[in-house]
Amino acid sequence: MADTVKLPEDSFKRINADDRAALDSEKIAAPSLTFAQDAWRRLRKNKGAWVSLIVLAIVFIMAFGSLVVSPHNPNAVNPSYANLPSKIPGIGINGFNGTLVQAGQRIDAYKQAGASSKFYIMGTDYLGRDLFSRVLYGTRISLIIALVATLFDLTIGVTYGMFSGWKGGRIDTIMQRIIEIILSIPNLVVIVLLILILKPGMTSIIIAIALTSWTNMARLVRAQTMEIKEQEYILAARTLGERPLKIAFKHLLPNLSSVIIINTMFTIPNAIFFEATLSYIGIGISSPQASLGTLLNDGQKNFQFLPYQMWWPALVLSIIMLAFNLLGDGLRDAFDPRTKE
Amino acid sequence: MAKYLAKRIFYLILTLFIVITLTFFLMKLLPGTPLTNQAKLSKSQIALIYEQYGLNKPVWQQYLLYLAGAVRGNFGTSFQFSDQPVSYLLSSRIGPSLQIGLQAMILGVIVGIVVGAFGAMRQNSWVDTTATVVSILGISIPSFVLAVLLQYYLGLKLGWFPIAEWGGFIYTVLPTLALGATPLAESARFVRTEMVDVLSSDYIELAKAKGLSRTGVIYHHALRNSLIPLITIVGPLAVNIMTGSMVVENIFSIPGIGEQFVKSVLTNDYPTIMGLTIIYSFMLCVVLLFTDILYGIVDPRIRITGKAN
Amino acid sequence: MKINSAVKLGTVATFAAVLLAACGSSSNSSSEASKQTLNWMENSALPSMDSSTATDVVSGETMNNTGEGLLRIGKNSSIHPGVAKSYTKSKDGKTYTFNLRKSNWSNGDKVTAKDFVYAWQRTVDPKTASQYAYMYAQVKNANAIMNKKKPVSSLGIKAEGNYKVVVTLTQATSYFPSLVASPMFFPQNKSVVQKYGKKYATNAQDNVYNGPFKLTYWTGTSDNWTLSKNTKYWDAKNVKLKKINFKTMKDPQTSLSQYQSGKLDATYLSGQQPKNYKNDKQYVERKSASTFYIELNEKKDSMMKNKKARQALSLAINRNQFVNKVLADGSTAAKGLVSTGLAENKGTDFNTAAAVPSATSQDLAKAQKLWKQALKETGRSSYSLTLMADDTPAGKNSAEFIQSQWAKLDGLKVTNSNLPFKTRLSRSQNGQFDAVISAWGADFPDPISFLSLFTSGNSYNNGKWASKAYDKYVAAATGKDANNNTARWNDMVNAQKTILNDQGVIPVYQQGKAQLVKSDVKGLIYFPTGANWDFSRAYIAK
Repeated sequence: MADTVKLPEDSFKRINADDRAALDSEKIAAPSLTFAQDAWRRLRKNKGAWVSLIVLAIVFIMAFGSLVVSPHNPNAVNPSYANLPSKIPGIGINGFNGTLVQAGQRIDAYKQAGASSKFYIMGTDYLGRDLFSRVLYGTRISLIIALVATLFDLTIGVTYGMFSGWKGGRIDTIMQRIIEIILSIPNLVVIVLLILILKPGMTSIIIAIALTSWTNMARLVRAQTMEIKEQEYILAARTLGERPLKIAFKHLLPNLSSVIIINTMFTIPNAIFFEATLSYIGIGISSPQASLGTLLNDGQKNFQFLPYQMWWPALVLSIIMLAFNLLGDGLRDAFDPRTKE
Repeated sequence: MAKYLAKRIFYLILTLFIVITLTFFLMKLLPGTPLTNQAKLSKSQIALIYEQYGLNKPVWQQYLLYLAGAVRGNFGTSFQFSDQPVSYLLSSRIGPSLQIGLQAMILGVIVGIVVGAFGAMRQNSWVDTTATVVSILGISIPSFVLAVLLQYYLGLKLGWFPIAEWGGFIYTVLPTLALGATPLAESARFVRTEMVDVLSSDYIELAKAKGLSRTGVIYHHALRNSLIPLITIVGPLAVNIMTGSMVVENIFSIPGIGEQFVKSVLTNDYPTIMGLTIIYSFMLCVVLLFTDILYGIVDPRIRITGKAN
Repeated sequence: MKINSAVKLGTVATFAAVLLAACGSSSNSSSEASKQTLNWMENSALPSMDSSTATDVVSGETMNNTGEGLLRIGKNSSIHPGVAKSYTKSKDGKTYTFNLRKSNWSNGDKVTAKDFVYAWQRTVDPKTASQYAYMYAQVKNANAIMNKKKPVSSLGIKAEGNYKVVVTLTQATSYFPSLVASPMFFPQNKSVVQKYGKKYATNAQDNVYNGPFKLTYWTGTSDNWTLSKNTKYWDAKNVKLKKINFKTMKDPQTSLSQYQSGKLDATYLSGQQPKNYKNDKQYVERKSASTFYIELNEKKDSMMKNKKARQALSLAINRNQFVNKVLADGSTAAKGLVSTGLAENKGTDFNTAAAVPSATSQDLAKAQKLWKQALKETGRSSYSLTLMADDTPAGKNSAEFIQSQWAKLDGLKVTNSNLPFKTRLSRSQNGQFDAVISAWGADFPDPISFLSLFTSGNSYNNGKWASKAYDKYVAAATGKDANNNTARWNDMVNAQKTILNDQGVIPVYQQGKAQLVKSDVKGLIYFPTGANWDFSRAYIAK
């Protein structure tokens, strides 16, 4: 293309001062944002994530607020009001009006128990305890367990995985064997031992989770690290003489964020279910304490006759999970540097 | 590669040995004996029963004897089924657990990959939203709740499947569905997330630009590169599911190994717990080895043998 | 056992009349359905079929239907003839002579006196390591043999010819007939036991049976097992059922669904299920001879040693509300330590004779008063304790309820701790508890089965409550008054009154089992101790 191209004369125009001013006004000059600010901005644009954040905030406030204000005492026993179904004032739909089917007939359980003037919006359990208060109480316990598990995932799991994957070689081999051993020793042995040494209850469960839950995260992060460290931008960073710690935080971590966040979204329900399964076996949280898991477990046993005792905790758990996941998706999009606008 | 394999198999044996040792001594810390009514037995009777089970010897001797036996495939006698050797107990009950676990894994992972891939391809459409919600519900309902729901509605109300017990394939449908929810949800989530990343990367743009068909791009490039986290997660999950879920087996009355496992831990039935731990640990180590090899096949950029630095 | 108008000493007890009654009540064949199969559920799998080493209820129940001892237990724990046609008891009550009928094992071998001698010796033999051998304690030399002090052949059982068994006891034991009716005293075929060696009774094939049914399917670890009618049984013509399918159902929801869909003919109800079937025609409540009680650790501190504190804790519990509103499964409020309906004397139930209402009823005002006094006497302003219980649903329910009741006492803080059975047991026995909910089921129908637990130094006396008077009464009932029914009865009544007056334990409830049984299942025989079920007269009606 060495030929000279002939352009018409009016293709170009000389710039004058006015034009220069106009150009300046078109200049895109967003304030320089840090990584976190940028992520926050992107997160706020995601409607699903934003709504989830609000839902979670409400759940947290209600669950932890019930320490101070609760509709009823979650442990107050009143056997004559046992197994009353949901009754929400002003709603006449079956399932929310205090009636239930007993021996083929729909009866007003509240009238039968002599509690016509009372309202239990989620009903009561077999000891006549207010289910709504117990769900709030259970949510609090489950959230604490979930958050502790997440904390260990994010600290031990991520660090361990990044280190193992980054170093490779002999260190990696040894670290992976350690994980294999931890994975191989049945969780149940660990928890039963802890129950013996300590006491059955929250502390034992939390320590058991702390000891065992982070392995999956570590393995995921290691696998992803092995993939990423071979890529050009890491090579570039290394060639430029970046310190490994800085590479880890600046380059690895953001690129690992999607895996980390997604796995966290599984850590939360897994921790909650681990506790629920323990209570199914019978070594979970000691009564009369409750978690969403124990409530589901109790409800499951009476599902044929008192379905609401399972539906309510299941509904609350699902809402929490949905919110955590949608928020997780939002966070992933916000933190992942590869996300396109 | 052969050298690498040999090395890994050596490590596998080493890991197994450490796990057996650790579990053995941890179990010894637990209370529990083969005695069912200790208080009514005289000292000499207790001594005799202990002798029968070899519990009269010091712990380190019990350990060595156990190792010697285990190498020859003799795992001792179960405390729960007092006359049955552990090897028989395990071999006669592990079949149903393996079958249901395997079916659940296959179903869960395949459906999960499809759901996840569709979600990623139609990102932020209603398909994606539905896929997301379904997979989130899959992980937000514990398996015992799902099992009860399936049993009540599909078994009792509609009568499509047997409520419980163990017979032909038809008996495995409900337990498979109940167990499959977790692998389904996890695979769907991981595949979707990874694929969204991969689909926006340059080499996919290039493949598209080269005029490769949509399915070709998805299958050859996007899917393959999305599988790394999935492989990592699926291995241990499969071993977990295949070695028996007490909850699902109890609810569907499946003659599997799940409850024996739980009971043996709670009663310090160490011959049974050790037998199960060895099987579990062996399967796990093998699966993890395969996982590492698969990394290399799926993503040639990962070097398993070499050193990075 | 029933202590009916005391059997006159030395009289020959024959069963002719009883036999007639048993056969006469059987139905005529026109009302029977053509398919005589019963589908029965158990909560756990069958772990053993060796009557010398089995320890659990499921094994006992199965063996009670595949085997037969010298005598059989029937409805309301009455005693019927089994392999023995009749028996005589010596004047001093220490020697029993059983006259056997001619009957066969399922492989055609004759059931002889030697089979009993062999079985009993094998069980007591320390080499067998039977965990229930202590049940033989009354048989002469049994304890010495178990402790390796005497040879097995010295056991107090002799065969006189092929069809006469003579048993010598160390002391008169009025409930001995009900003992020999339990599976632990069943005969064993020596040639079969020796032929199969280690494999004996580890599956359906490597075993022989002399009862109404024989085991035809069982792999040794399977969840299902099948009994079929034993045509070689001496009374086979009165056995109607062709087959019994036992199925293990570990989840109560599942067994109820299986029952509703017709896969099971009977199911036990648990949790909230009984409440929903209370008025159903198929609903049955079975009383079992098990009492649940709270033990307080008197070794722990002065508070638990204070009688007023123990009484306050007992008075705070509303037992009726617990059994009617919370459990609602046929369980009843405990009237004493011994379970109600276990034994009676001249038509009076043991618990009616030995009742101490103040120790088994609720009076919150009095409880508050006593509790305050107890706190003052021990110089405290408040007290906290941990209530230990099993991790089963029933254990959790009990702990939750009792905690809520005790919380009403001023200055008492209660924490719950639910533990796996074996852990709970070992902690109870080592005294690592403040208060524990324990349970005891009678091994045989006699109050002494409960009362002997709380003598000082007994290994089941976890709370270490001790009373000289109590020890004296129990010793008299098992020693000097053993052969004098009236005196023995009074000793036992006094023993229960003593422990209740001192609130040595806090009885809570007597266990009941709620069950649904299809209305076409007839002739089931239930008894509250030991093996519980006899299917030999059961049939499916049209």
